[in-house]
Amino acid sequence: MRDLSRPTGSESEAFDAHRMKTRRLLVVGVLLGILVLTAFVAILVGTLGPIGPGVPVRISFSEALRAIFGSSGYHWVFWNIRLPRVLLAGLVGAALACSGTAMQAVFRNSMADPFVIGISSGGAVGASVAGLLGLSATMGMLAQPMFAFMAAAMAAFGVYLLGSVRGKVYPESLLLSGVAVAAFLGAIVSFLIYFARQEYHQLIFWLLGSLTLANWEVVEILAVPVIAGTLFIFLYGRDLDALLLGEETAHNLGANPEFLKKAMLFVGAMLAASAVAFTGVIGFVGLIIPHISRLVVGSNHRILVPAATLSGAIFLIGADTLARTVVAPTELPVGIITALCGGPFFLYLLRKNSMGRER
Amino acid sequence: MTLSVRALSFSFGETQVLKNINLEVQPGEFFGIMGPNGSGKTTLLRCITRYLPIEDGMIAVGGRPLEDFSAEAIARTFAVVPQNSATDFPFRVFDIVMMGRIPHAGSRLSGETKDDVEIVRQALERTDALRFSSRVFSELSGGEKQRVIIARAIAQKPKVLLLDEPTVYLDISGQIETMDLIKKLNREEGITVVAVLHDVNLAARYCDRIALLSGGTLEASGAPSDVLTPETIRSVYGIDVLVRKDPMTEAVFVMPRPAAPSIRRHGTRAHVISGGGTGGRLMKFLHDQGFSVSTGVVNVLDDDYVIANDLHIPVVAEIPFSQISDDAHAENVRLIGESALVIVSSFPVGPGNFKNLEAARAALSLGKRVFIVRSKNTPGIDFVGGKADEMVSGLIASGAAVVADVSDLLPLLTDRRG
Repeated sequence: MRDLSRPTGSESEAFDAHRMKTRRLLVVGVLLGILVLTAFVAILVGTLGPIGPGVPVRISFSEALRAIFGSSGYHWVFWNIRLPRVLLAGLVGAALACSGTAMQAVFRNSMADPFVIGISSGGAVGASVAGLLGLSATMGMLAQPMFAFMAAAMAAFGVYLLGSVRGKVYPESLLLSGVAVAAFLGAIVSFLIYFARQEYHQLIFWLLGSLTLANWEVVEILAVPVIAGTLFIFLYGRDLDALLLGEETAHNLGANPEFLKKAMLFVGAMLAASAVAFTGVIGFVGLIIPHISRLVVGSNHRILVPAATLSGAIFLIGADTLARTVVAPTELPVGIITALCGGPFFLYLLRKNSMGRER
Repeated sequence: MTLSVRALSFSFGETQVLKNINLEVQPGEFFGIMGPNGSGKTTLLRCITRYLPIEDGMIAVGGRPLEDFSAEAIARTFAVVPQNSATDFPFRVFDIVMMGRIPHAGSRLSGETKDDVEIVRQALERTDALRFSSRVFSELSGGEKQRVIIARAIAQKPKVLLLDEPTVYLDISGQIETMDLIKKLNREEGITVVAVLHDVNLAARYCDRIALLSGGTLEASGAPSDVLTPETIRSVYGIDVLVRKDPMTEAVFVMPRPAAPSIRRHGTRAHVISGGGTGGRLMKFLHDQGFSVSTGVVNVLDDDYVIANDLHIPVVAEIPFSQISDDAHAENVRLIGESALVIVSSFPVGPGNFKNLEAARAALSLGKRVFIVRSKNTPGIDFVGGKADEMVSGLIASGAAVVADVSDLLPLLTDRRG
């Protein structure tokens, strides 16, 4: 049995500012390493490459390396198809996980994420309207993310209004109205797709969440809002810590809870819309990743936000690689993989929370 | 820095919660806010932290009105310890206390500094929470949690510590532990304390001054002994209490008095001969049974004297620590003469109050019914070398009835009362 009255190793660590920072940098460093490694493996895996089941065009490992870094005949495939796809998966995963982390702080509920509370569905409505009207052709590539963001922000605002009573927001009612809004908006998307018969199959793919539309242009468009949004949430990390203890406590610690809630909903909607605009609704990433990250690094947002963001990128790159290979030579929408992981996980959280309440 | 509240009023919609509150809390003071549920205590605290917007009136710290403060400046002035702090999220104790440094952070880019870490360590040390600083907050006991929250409040380096019923969810050891800690900080660090307290006796024991709220207005304020009187407590809480002084601390303490059952006053006179605090239950019992009770002779300051006064019954009193004078004895016998029944408690008998046994003998010779309450295991109460026991035996021989307990009296009394 450990003597609790005596300071332990981990405790003296807590009182060494330098070691505390080193530990955080270590966590970020390790995750960055895993991210690079996962991305590298993901680039190698596919219908063309040295690894993967049922690969029609099998090339050697060294040939693949030469193709990536040199100028072999396959260079174009790796550089313009595989790499943007992996980068998009990373950006979308990071955006969803970071957005989920912020939502969970705002709602003070570990079951909140952009998908569960309807922001993703809002973005999907915007993106599908833009897609069906063919706005990308007339207004350029930005039309889809802009529409997605506007609709996601409207969904976030709507959920916020529905969930608030006389200007005060109650997390439980917010979560419930989010679920209702998500179902409603999901039906609208299905309705729109039903009427777009000619593109039916492609839209279904999009509706289920898929990264097939990846290219360099999409990556460039999404990089800016995702990096900016993640950074914003990171900088408000300490305020989010305080918000998790309740709005009054946050106020008493000098944070501005009303501003914080609105800013986080806005930025969270922006991140979710960025993810949804070109890839459709990829559910549950914002739920699973923050939760697992919290179990590992704790709830302190100065470390949780970077950890969850990087883990989100790692997770989605991995999930997408699986989606590309599991039924090769065709591929699954990655949303199916995340939902298969996320659904049971959500139920597990639900059970755990209600059991905790009974205790 | 003086905290002053001037003409403060506050409403939730149509309901006025605070009406024209005026308060002044001096630097270093331990100030209590009390009142029944819904009297506006927590609302007052929330107005002070500016969590609720002030509609009418003014709150100022050191002469500066609160409106001039930034959100961070407010958090550097006031630290709040709420009733309980629950979170489902896994924060370490260290993280919770570090949150107290948020209002002191220079910029968003800079994280926790060396100074912050040192201040957190000191705060944990002062609240004796250092040894569990690495544990998960939600797994601590109620008292431990409150110590951590107080550590966070200290780390905030506030001018005024505000507490909202900090002990309400704690058991008695947690209550005392928490209040002692707050008092220590108040005395040693000079932190001004404003505490909403539910428990009248905790408030009386720890506060320099108390403000009593009732229905949103300030009913009374001042030293505990001035505010906590049976009259104000009756008017604010609507209950009868006894107010005493703790003999060791001289702090007042308040005991709720069990309400007398509504009984028919039949007016039968009963005289209690007691002393040394042995007659209290007897008097209360007879009083509640509808008898008109009187007692004597007891010394002023004797518990029996105090209880007789609390019950507003006639009492023959002697000055403290003196022998019963002939005058007092004569008065006692006169009251006995007016009574139908005389009950003798098992009071200790010394040379000073031996006359009380003579009064009992006089009662018998006046033809009164005399009862002696004396259980079999009552220890010797004779301090006059056997004369008292002899006397009591004589009384029993002459017809006095012995009962073991006060409650055994009732059937005997009602039997022949008619």
